[in-house]
Amino acid sequence: MRLGNDVAKALRTVGSGGAVVYLATSSLEGNPNIVGERFVTLYQEEYILIAEMFAQKTRVNLNENPVGAITLAHPVKGRTWEFSGPATILQEGHADGEVWEGLDVAEALAEWGDWATKEPPSEVPPDIRPPALVQRGVIALRVTHAADYHPERAGRPLSLA
Amino acid sequence: MARLTPRMKNWLTGLGAHIATATSSGVPAVVVVESATADSDDTLRFTLSAQQLSYVRANLAENPRVAIGPGGIGSVRAAYQFKGNGLIEGSDLVVTVDEIYSTKPGPEAGLRLDVLPFDDVLTFESSRWRDDGPPR
Repeated sequence: MRLGNDVAKALRTVGSGGAVVYLATSSLEGNPNIVGERFVTLYQEEYILIAEMFAQKTRVNLNENPVGAITLAHPVKGRTWEFSGPATILQEGHADGEVWEGLDVAEALAEWGDWATKEPPSEVPPDIRPPALVQRGVIALRVTHAADYHPERAGRPLSLA
Repeated sequence: MARLTPRMKNWLTGLGAHIATATSSGVPAVVVVESATADSDDTLRFTLSAQQLSYVRANLAENPRVAIGPGGIGSVRAAYQFKGNGLIEGSDLVVTVDEIYSTKPGPEAGLRLDVLPFDDVLTFESSRWRDDGPPR
């Protein structure tokens, strides 16, 4: 599904305070995993990209069960959004011309494979800044469903085009 | 048995959590709560709305495993993940935590904390963060 400018703005606030999302994945047997992610952007209106910085269990889960759910964690400001859909990890070494869920892997990596250079995390306070931004690819989620997580509307579909 | 530190409890009770559930075949779904109660050193209680219960009841009925991350700015400043089994009690989700991980970016991402001596976990926290919970 296509997402609009409101989502792009909400996710790409790095440089002006930082947006944080949670990425939930699961093993095939149903053991969930949830981890906060700071380097995130909307890409080509229907993909959410996150810098892959050695998220060990996320990688294991996506390798066997390529689906995920992303919730906006901070700042929320009424944007109680959950996005879900197929998810994977893009990284160097894919075959030439590789396309995942309609996304050109090489193109996405060329733009977001080196987050630290493209958007240095200078606004992140030193006590929570990663000691080094070592990135080994990009986590990609194609948004096929958007839902509200507000307590009174949890799980209800959202239209954010 | 996992043992929550005072700092962990303070962040969860102060700002709530994002709680991931999954179907038994691994499809995740998340509910977000703004506060929590620590019933004991390993048990957390989250009061869910009727709509939240409706959203995750089926998941929890077939698969009790949950994963929890601290809410709000805790998503950055309280870089933990808690895992355990969830049980619906009335309108509450009660989670018995049996695994605790650091999610601090860098070499400590994924470090399992609940298997360390408790004093070592306290030392780990105090050497990395200056707060004992969210701003008051």
